[in-house]
Amino acid sequence: MTSLEPVRSAPRHRLGALRRAALRASARFDPRRVGVRNRILATFLGGSFVLGLVATLTTYGVTRTRLVEQQEQIAVERALLAARRVGSDVADSPSDLVGAVARAGGPPRLLVAPWTTASSGAIVGADDVPAPLMERVHVGRVAAHMVAPFEDGQAVIVGVPLPAAGASYFEFSSLDGVDASLDSLRTSLLFSLAITTAVGAILAMSASRGAVRPLSNAAQAARAIADGRLDTRLEATDDPDLRALTSAFNDMARSLQERVDRDVRFASNVSHELRSPLMTLAASVEVMQSRRHELPERSRAALDLLAGDVDRFRRLVEDLLEISRYDAGAVRLLREPLALTEFVRQAVAASSLPATPVVESGGVASMVIHGDRRRLARVVANLVDNARVHGGGRPSVTVQPADGEPPTHAQIVVTDEGDGLIDGEAEAIFERFSRGGTAGRRANQDGAGLGLALALEHVALHGGRIWASNRRDGVRGARFVVELPIEVRDAAYHGDDR
Amino acid sequence: MAVRILTVEDDERIRAAVRLALEDEGWEVDESPNGEEALAAFRRAPADVVLVDIMLPGMSGFDLCRNLRRFSDVPIVVVTARSDTHDVVAGLEAGADDYLTKPFAPKELSARIRALLRRARPSAGGHALLVFGDLEIVPDEGRVTLAGREISLTKTEFRLLCELAQDPGGVFSREVLLDRVWGYGYFGDGRLVDVHVRRLRTKVEADPAHPRHIVTVRGLGYRLQP
Repeated sequence: MTSLEPVRSAPRHRLGALRRAALRASARFDPRRVGVRNRILATFLGGSFVLGLVATLTTYGVTRTRLVEQQEQIAVERALLAARRVGSDVADSPSDLVGAVARAGGPPRLLVAPWTTASSGAIVGADDVPAPLMERVHVGRVAAHMVAPFEDGQAVIVGVPLPAAGASYFEFSSLDGVDASLDSLRTSLLFSLAITTAVGAILAMSASRGAVRPLSNAAQAARAIADGRLDTRLEATDDPDLRALTSAFNDMARSLQERVDRDVRFASNVSHELRSPLMTLAASVEVMQSRRHELPERSRAALDLLAGDVDRFRRLVEDLLEISRYDAGAVRLLREPLALTEFVRQAVAASSLPATPVVESGGVASMVIHGDRRRLARVVANLVDNARVHGGGRPSVTVQPADGEPPTHAQIVVTDEGDGLIDGEAEAIFERFSRGGTAGRRANQDGAGLGLALALEHVALHGGRIWASNRRDGVRGARFVVELPIEVRDAAYHGDDR
Repeated sequence: MAVRILTVEDDERIRAAVRLALEDEGWEVDESPNGEEALAAFRRAPADVVLVDIMLPGMSGFDLCRNLRRFSDVPIVVVTARSDTHDVVAGLEAGADDYLTKPFAPKELSARIRALLRRARPSAGGHALLVFGDLEIVPDEGRVTLAGREISLTKTEFRLLCELAQDPGGVFSREVLLDRVWGYGYFGDGRLVDVHVRRLRTKVEADPAHPRHIVTVRGLGYRLQP
């Protein structure tokens, strides 16, 4: 018994492998992955091919049957006529059977008598008559016919008994003519099948394109919404099938826009409402600070805390207002031509570390940017602030041209000597209220958490980029790069256009 | 005589706090909760500087500026909600000399007021009379005549004109003008210069659209044509 085991298990194993291969193949062929458009195309194409094939086969079959039947009828009539003539010849001179057959003209024929077999020439013999027909005619004495292979093709073989002579007469009518007709029919049918399939393919392409167009429109609109163009809507349509999609999409876009607007308005309103109490706080704290020396020590410490946080609160509200303007799409840059190096020097001088060195590198001396002076200064000041708070407090600033010949952008690079960035932080720090690094590693002293997020918005609105990485010169620390497009020389400047 | 500041602000608490801060600077402070009362108070006792919140109930801050300008060249600081809206330009065009954006630190406010007060007493510049065609400036007396007719300029407009007149034909960048007239550093708002030049042109030019005296130098700034 054990010897049989491998014989049985081997096929099972092979079957398993086959099934796995089939599963793999079917997994590779996932109809959902083919795409609506290709599926429509395949359906149309397959449909038109199958329909064309069915029509072709039916036409061919019917025509063939009809042609063969016609040929049979003609052959039978002719054979009966010939048989009657041969029969009367045989009656006249029973001994000259062979002569009678030879005299009768027409297709190959054969006379089978008990004593002899005669044919027109030596082309046919008794062997050429299929046994069932011979049986029916020669033995059963009944006239009959059938289609049988003959020579290279087929023929209608008609058998007629000649009772007077006790013989049988057979006539072979070739179906070659029918075959030739059927051949040309087949050719033209295949040709028309090819044409219908091709037309089907063209229709399928236009139909699938038409069917997919609303989808690609919707996809485009969705992408536009994702990019922040919340007022994007799909065009209204009369198509009842598409109306559901269109109206559902537009409803979604509308409610999304309302919701975003509400959020933006809320943030903006909150910030606006905070400004009045903030003004009172700031002014009152300032009054108290001017009398700081009159206060007892504990009150002085409390006042310092209060003053520090009122200032921080004020900057936070300013940043919140600014960022809610971005969210509302209401920021308008006040652009003017700025001599890059001079601008960066001034911006650094106005920052929290005014003594930070500014190095000019690689021919930026004459570069001019077209920017919003105060907003870009905030970008530089925020980067310096960030370096002060998170980056060890000793930043350096380099102004340099970006890659490209001639350079189209300039870079403002702020490097620090802090702990640098950890994985995944390079992008996260530009998020709102990101707390610069893992808790505890960097103390969040006064960063409101919006500085870098705002810098990102400012730079983006200027058509530039901002990114962070670790220093590349072997020193520990982070490196922030602001890349801004530089102005083409001789650009017109209108002093009065604002 | 003590410097008098009139603050026009509808929020009572802000008014009180700003008053405390300004009084610490040694200035006298008057308050008005709206434009109508402010006009009346100013007529009763003219102030040296007026601080106007643009968002006022009733008469708007813009209208208050325009009304004050009808009879006074007093320096006006407007307080706007935002710096990048048309509010700033509209406030300046209504006659304001400078602006602040809420929330501002009182220190900024007193710095602005000090700059305006300095401006209100124009520097002599060493010239008794400056003549530019039909335009004549008497710096010491604060008088300007166009074709023999005396024209009234605000103190800031006058100061701007005098600065341009320091170097006839020389080009003054906005940064320089912002520094000399408004006391701002590099990050002053160039619109202050632009709007004041525009205002000045309507007063000293026969055809403000085609200025003959105060000319724009593209890409550089402005100059006073000798």
